[in-house]
Amino acid sequence: MNVALIILLPFLGAVLPALMIRSGRDACATVTGAINALALALLLAHAPEVLSGGSVRADWSWISRLGLNIQFSIDALGLLFGTIILGVGLLVVLYARYYLSADDPMGSFYAYLLLFQGAMIGIVLSNNVLQLLVFWELTSLSSFLLIGFWGHSPAGRQGARMALTITGGGGLALIAGLLLLGKIVGSYELTTILASGDVVRASPLYPLILGLILLGCFTKSAQFPFHFWLPHAMAAPTPVSAYLHSATMVKAGIYLMARLWPVLSGTELWFYVVTFTGLVTMLLGAVIALFKDDLKGVLAYSTVSHLGLMTMLLGFSSPLAVVACMLHLVNHATFKAALFLNTGIIDHETGTRDISLLGGLRKYMPATAICAVLAAASMGGLPPLNGFLSKEMMLEEAAHRSFAGSAWLLPVAVTVASVCSFAYSLRYVTDVFFGKPRQKYPQGLQDPGIGLWLSPTLLVALVILIGLFPETMLGRPVRMAAAAAIGGEVPKFYLALWHGVTPALIMSGIAIGAGALLLLAYPLAHRGWNSLPRVAAKPMFDFGIASLAGLSKQVTGRLHNSSLQRYLFVTLVASLLVGGITFAQHWPTFASGTRSVLPTNPVILLAWVLLIAGCILVVKMHANRLVALLLVNLIGLMTSLIFVYFSAPDLALTQISVEVVTLILMLLALYFLPKHSLLEATRAIRVRNGLLSIIIGLAMGGLTWAMLTRDFDSISNYYWEQSLPGSGGRNVVNVILVDFRGFDTFGEIMVLGIAALIIFALLDGLLNGPMRRHMLTWTSGEQYSPTRHPLVMVVVTRLMLPLSLMVAAFIFLRGHNEPGGGFIAALVVSIALIMQYMASGFGWAARRVRVDYHALIGGGVLIAAATGITAMVFDRPFLTSGFKHFHWPVGDFELSSALAFDLGIFMTVLGGVMLALAQFSKLGEEITGEQINEAPMDYPPGKATVSATPLAQGAKRAGHGQPKGLPANNPNQDERI
Amino acid sequence: MEFLVAAAVMAMTAAGVYLLLAARTFTVVIGLTLLTYATNLFLFSSGRLAINQPDIITDLASPHADPIPQSLVLTAIVIAFGMTALILVMSVRGFFESGGDHVDLLDTSGPADQEHP
Amino acid sequence: MNHWLILPILLPAIVGALLALAVRNDIVLARTFSLGTLVGLVLLGIMQLGTAADGVTRTYALGNWPAPFGIVLVLDRLSALMLLLTAVLGLCVMLYAINDCDRKGAHFHPLFLFQLTGLNGAFLTGDLFNLFVFFEVLLIASYGLMVHGGGASRIRAGIQYVVINLVGSSIFLMALGLIYGTTGTLNMADLARRVALIPAGDQAMLCTGAALLLVVFGIKSAVVPLQFWLPGTYANTSGPVAALFAIMTKVGAYAIIRVYLLAFAGGAEVDTFSAAQWLLPGALVTLLVGMTGVVASRNLSQQASFAALASMGTTLVAVAVFTPVAESAALYYLVHSTLAGAALFLLIDAVKLRRGEFADRLVDAPRFQNLGLIGGMFFAVAIAVLGLPPLSGFVAKLLILDAVADSAYWGVIWATVLLTSLLGLIGFAFSGSLIFWKSRQLDGLVEPTQPTQLALPMVAIGSLLGLLVLVTLFSGSVIGYMDATAGQLFNPEQYIEAVLGAPTDGAEPLAKGEK
Repeated sequence: MNVALIILLPFLGAVLPALMIRSGRDACATVTGAINALALALLLAHAPEVLSGGSVRADWSWISRLGLNIQFSIDALGLLFGTIILGVGLLVVLYARYYLSADDPMGSFYAYLLLFQGAMIGIVLSNNVLQLLVFWELTSLSSFLLIGFWGHSPAGRQGARMALTITGGGGLALIAGLLLLGKIVGSYELTTILASGDVVRASPLYPLILGLILLGCFTKSAQFPFHFWLPHAMAAPTPVSAYLHSATMVKAGIYLMARLWPVLSGTELWFYVVTFTGLVTMLLGAVIALFKDDLKGVLAYSTVSHLGLMTMLLGFSSPLAVVACMLHLVNHATFKAALFLNTGIIDHETGTRDISLLGGLRKYMPATAICAVLAAASMGGLPPLNGFLSKEMMLEEAAHRSFAGSAWLLPVAVTVASVCSFAYSLRYVTDVFFGKPRQKYPQGLQDPGIGLWLSPTLLVALVILIGLFPETMLGRPVRMAAAAAIGGEVPKFYLALWHGVTPALIMSGIAIGAGALLLLAYPLAHRGWNSLPRVAAKPMFDFGIASLAGLSKQVTGRLHNSSLQRYLFVTLVASLLVGGITFAQHWPTFASGTRSVLPTNPVILLAWVLLIAGCILVVKMHANRLVALLLVNLIGLMTSLIFVYFSAPDLALTQISVEVVTLILMLLALYFLPKHSLLEATRAIRVRNGLLSIIIGLAMGGLTWAMLTRDFDSISNYYWEQSLPGSGGRNVVNVILVDFRGFDTFGEIMVLGIAALIIFALLDGLLNGPMRRHMLTWTSGEQYSPTRHPLVMVVVTRLMLPLSLMVAAFIFLRGHNEPGGGFIAALVVSIALIMQYMASGFGWAARRVRVDYHALIGGGVLIAAATGITAMVFDRPFLTSGFKHFHWPVGDFELSSALAFDLGIFMTVLGGVMLALAQFSKLGEEITGEQINEAPMDYPPGKATVSATPLAQGAKRAGHGQPKGLPANNPNQDERI
Repeated sequence: MEFLVAAAVMAMTAAGVYLLLAARTFTVVIGLTLLTYATNLFLFSSGRLAINQPDIITDLASPHADPIPQSLVLTAIVIAFGMTALILVMSVRGFFESGGDHVDLLDTSGPADQEHP
Repeated sequence: MNHWLILPILLPAIVGALLALAVRNDIVLARTFSLGTLVGLVLLGIMQLGTAADGVTRTYALGNWPAPFGIVLVLDRLSALMLLLTAVLGLCVMLYAINDCDRKGAHFHPLFLFQLTGLNGAFLTGDLFNLFVFFEVLLIASYGLMVHGGGASRIRAGIQYVVINLVGSSIFLMALGLIYGTTGTLNMADLARRVALIPAGDQAMLCTGAALLLVVFGIKSAVVPLQFWLPGTYANTSGPVAALFAIMTKVGAYAIIRVYLLAFAGGAEVDTFSAAQWLLPGALVTLLVGMTGVVASRNLSQQASFAALASMGTTLVAVAVFTPVAESAALYYLVHSTLAGAALFLLIDAVKLRRGEFADRLVDAPRFQNLGLIGGMFFAVAIAVLGLPPLSGFVAKLLILDAVADSAYWGVIWATVLLTSLLGLIGFAFSGSLIFWKSRQLDGLVEPTQPTQLALPMVAIGSLLGLLVLVTLFSGSVIGYMDATAGQLFNPEQYIEAVLGAPTDGAEPLAKGEK
């Protein structure tokens, strides 16, 4: 349990600093440090057990189906890394308390820091590679927050984004790699994976896996060619640089390579890829570091170089090399973190990090100087410091290894690297602390308070101690860690400063001598360096991102150009293809139908001719909208004729009544919309569309034909048989609508009701919203007959009203047995009513028709629902119908619950249609500026009075025919509809 | 007879699709209406054609048309009606929002001007 | 007679009607009513999930007419899951919406409830035509919600959305015509039996019907090349509505899973329509297009819309593999992406309200109210949307990658999924750092155009995030449920028997209804 606690502590603790900051910066720092220290203590508590060869494990199952379980284990390798992470962490927490300025949000800083710490410790203690992935990505995310901590500086933001992009991208590769690894091994548990190295190396997927995993490690550990993100991450506050970008996060890649060393290493591929990458990175970093003037830049590239060194050592695939790697890992963490913290002090006190502005600092801040000199000396590989030890071991390893068939290539390369490394270490010392000041330092420049110098000093102490007593200090941990990494026995070795005159010693000597000389010739070298062609990574990266963004913008812009015509065209083509190809795929088995064909009937033939003619004409003449509208109605009429002829009277009735109402609606709409369309499409487009529509038409026609000419058996007989006994209705279609499939109808009336509500809302926005202002300035340019309301029409419509109401009632009641029903009845009534609106003016009608249409809609749905629910009361399913036979004087009637349901339909439809139409014609009057009038009026409503309204006159004078002062795209989202 | 129906479906579909691809809302609505007619007729014919066999039960034995497609089409007609009304009103609203009736409301006072004398 | 089964449809329908009827002008009452309804729906959902968890498929014969003649509602694990997801999402969104957004136009609450009616109906019905009807219900409600608030750009997007979906409805009807015209039935279970039995000569037409159906569902779930309506619609409607729409596309995915694993699953002996051949490539391209859009976006809403598109791509990639593990992964991701997407849209709305005239455009603007809090939440939500650890998105991604590993196309699927994640990462890192970090570089504070509340909106978003955390923590049991669901889906016979009773000759009409 307390193993998990080591990881959990930082995560859970992360909230505390964010809270404690309220009670001061000290409290905040203290609590953070406490959490950190506790975690460290918990970890070290396991040290004896682990160092004596044991390992601690803790397992919980989480997503066993996926193999992603909570599995931790502490072995020597994990312990080594963990100690570094938590130990350095503690020092950084202390340091940061005094480093951060008063206006930095320290609470969130420590919170992020702990998040990162938890993720990092999670990586090194994970015993499940998927779980490791989780922590891996978490380090990328938390470091994103830390690098961008100073979000107000562009460098910070860009550095953060770059780091996230590179490491995050690598993380994605790692996901693939580890998943594949797990698939081959058959488990994601690390111990299992480590045991099955042979299987992995034998698998054909090995190269792919290796590539993906190395991609993850190289990006994280800033190996060439991904090294460039690290220097830019230096925009982070210095404590972050010291912690993440020298001591811990960048070592995650090294850790994973060491971790999977037994599984992946030992092949040619591994040797060459890893060694070469490491070597190049090491050289490159060392050389660049030499010519950087920003202190943090120097340290950053030096870090890159040292990471390369460790990678190269792992590439060697020899146990001793792994030992060297482990040793250097610790040493680098100590001296590099110390140097970063020192740099922070310098920056903090003098206000600059630029070498060319510094110098002679030892006079002002001796303590800092001493620390820096020692740490730098270790970095440069001078005895008796710890840097020397691990560098010796590295050189020793390199000296005896031939690369690509040449025995001297490696030795020479590493020596060159060491030369540069010594040179820039020396430069760090001489140019900053010795010589004379190159600028005026701030008054009273001196060593900082203990809070700042304590941490680096402790680290330097380690540097010396390890250097002097390596075996006692690190012998056991390094041995055990290396053993854990290679998963076997480590050959005998002894950590000491003096191994006699070995090739390594000679190479060191050369390095030191040449390095000193190189620094003497620095100006020359610098000129040489500047004359070299430079490949700057950041511009390339930025360019890459920019062009990616540009490309995406282009693609997206082209694709989603928000042209409905294009969208529809593509949609239709897609449907045609999917349907057509599927049909073609099954063409071989397709058999044409055998059903006998009905004889043609002249009347229908005539109707058909009219219909076809209508279709052709509407396409030809659609520019004139009134004509188009009438043609469409003609076509609709013909369709209903066809329905009549083919034994579907209900359909015909419905179709016709819908026709009429739609006609009215469209006329009302046309009153506002332009009466003519321009033919805007080019000829090519028109041809293209024409072709598509013809093909689709043919397809549909063909399918219709194919369907009509074949027999099939359907479930329809059932309805025929059950209608009368089961539901007491003779009109099967109506019975299906209100009973068998009454639920469809329930949904259908909801659709209608909702449509009406939306229409109301939309027009309401025009009537009462800010749109009103624009609207009222609008006038239709059309001229209408000056003669107002022919008396005949008014009289006729008013006479028609009661009549049509009776008709409606009749249609409604007979619906269950004869063609008819609530829907058609409702339409008849609404037609009659709308006639009143049109003939006699909105005001007149509105005064007399005192019905709340909203209530009708709602009530209708409720009644329909209620009928259904009544059944539920009798514990029958929703909409179960009951019926009773009545003898009425007027005739026989089935009084069935379906009738009540039909009433619901009637009300909703009536309410819906009327709400829409009424709202519409109201708009018609409002728009013409006419107040609700008493006098009857012509259709279109109130046109004649337009000239009377000053607003409209103004509009006329302005000579515009549409709303004014409106941007084409009105971004204002806050208008009422 | 079947051929006539098939041809009718064809004609209405083609005309509907063509108008659907137009640039002006009203024309699009006309196209949609036509497409609906076609669809309904198609759905109706999925029950095959029957002459003089109304779906009123006189005696159970008599042959009869397939009532299901009819009821489906009825539902479809109603729904389509609601949709047509809605899109009409939306185009009117769009017209007032943008000052034109282009489907993408692209109009500045360009084409719209020429349309209103 | 288990009447609970129909309540998810009836409850919102009735309350919605009541609101339209009675309390049009009293916003407080309306809010109380719809919140109450939503809480009720959540409880119902939990209850029904519990019921369905036993693996028994329950049916409800409307009008007491036996299937396939009457319409039958079916509750199995899948529909129960969708019901609960919808209810929970609806509640969270409503919690956010009642801060003023619902005041920006008439009839917000009835429309919202009718929308839920349509969704629940679509998830419950076992009848294809009834599915069409409920699609129409949820669509028309969504039309209303989409244009709620008005404004030219919104109306334009609205018109496009409506027209494209009307075309979709027409195609739906044509498909139904073909299917009924060849099999003579509309009940999905009955269909499943008859598909295997219809003469080979009719297969072509039947499969064309199935294909057209896939096109319809493709439009609903915005799979390329049928995705065009989505970005405009989501980006131009109000935040809460967009958040609610997070479930709308999922209806398409649901329908695909349901129909092609049940009705057209076919048998070994018949070669029925294979949805995968169309779906998989489409889904992969959708993912690509979506994430490209995320990089290309010029404002946060647009970015979120394209992220939603990408999430549909991911979902359908998993769906299109049509293996039990893949469906299970797809369902897990579906739940995750619905919650995450909704949270993102709500959060963006919160930013919009505070950023004054800059709205959510990706341009330099000074700091705004609650920058820190909203920024932190944005970070978390972005992590969820991108499928990074520690939130459920990462688990989902692993699940999907793991599930498709056995498919022949695992390579291209893995590559697409992972590379597009990188695209998304770049896109969101850019927008986030611009909005929340760069603003600190400029001094001053933007004045919001209108007073903004903090508490309730943050509760809404917070609860969505909380749900994500729960899903992550209990991934084990969640995945367990999904696996069971997939198992049920891949054993359609049990569903069919629940609806139609023991197998008889499928071609014959089945037992007559006892009244």
